[in-house]
Amino acid sequence: MMYDDDALDRALAALPLEEPPASLHARIMAATVYRPRAAVQQWEVWTVATLAALAMWLTWVALSTPRLGERLVDGVTRLVDAGGLTSLNTLLWLAVGISVAWWLSQITVPQRRRIEIR
Amino acid sequence: MGAALAVDPPPVAAPVVEDQALIDATLAGRPDAFGDLVLRYERAVYNLALRTLHDRSEAEDAAQEAFFKAYRALHTFRSGAKFSTWIFTICYRGCCDRLAKRKRLSSDELPDHADPSAGPEALAELSDESYRLRSAIDALPEKYRTVVTLYHLQGKQYEEIATVLNLPLGTVKTHLFRAKEQLRKALTI
Repeated sequence: MMYDDDALDRALAALPLEEPPASLHARIMAATVYRPRAAVQQWEVWTVATLAALAMWLTWVALSTPRLGERLVDGVTRLVDAGGLTSLNTLLWLAVGISVAWWLSQITVPQRRRIEIR
Repeated sequence: MGAALAVDPPPVAAPVVEDQALIDATLAGRPDAFGDLVLRYERAVYNLALRTLHDRSEAEDAAQEAFFKAYRALHTFRSGAKFSTWIFTICYRGCCDRLAKRKRLSSDELPDHADPSAGPEALAELSDESYRLRSAIDALPEKYRTVVTLYHLQGKQYEEIATVLNLPLGTVKTHLFRAKEQLRKALTI
């Protein structure tokens, strides 16, 4: 059989599409609108992991530093003796630290637009 | 007499909900609206993936992945754009990634479990002419096969095909012309 352009177009248009597997619709719906909401957000995982890594690092530093306790006590004693805790610089940095912490606590992390299942 | 003259009113066609309305409803929190969108396009998306990948199981995964990506990015969908073009683009890019991964894993184009032929149910419902045409499409090089498949799915909308494939309009027309030439030759023999 000879096919001209129109005949080929007609044959293409008449070519039936294959039916997708019966389970495909359910699979798509389960992966999208009916996907269970994650127990924790991704940024929470990152925060906890970062804090855990920091804690591990601090632990390693503490364990690998000889006579750490003595050094800490010695440092604090010298700071108090020198009047460092009441110096203007120390108080200034303390105020900066507290205000930064307060401002950070006021920030709300933007939530991704989620579709609630009714 | 009056009863004999009474004529039933013509059936009123159910209003066709625009894709944009379904998208808006989905974003407003109605999962059934997204279900309607899926019902509307899953067949076409699956067929695009199947024709591109030549593998039923992978095509199913690719179709699911395309809808998943579309769902996650639904709020970025531009009002006025065509959802079909968008979902086909997502699906086609996913298929390209899968083909690239497949080529990295193996030097062969097709994996061992590849199944380029139609399934038994699909074959049973095909006429001899349709069967020959489908076989001829399957035998085309990938770039031509995809153009013909989109031409089949999208109708004669060259601009939409060019958008999905990220090709210049002229290239799409050339690919389609050459694909049809090859199809004609294959069907005439």
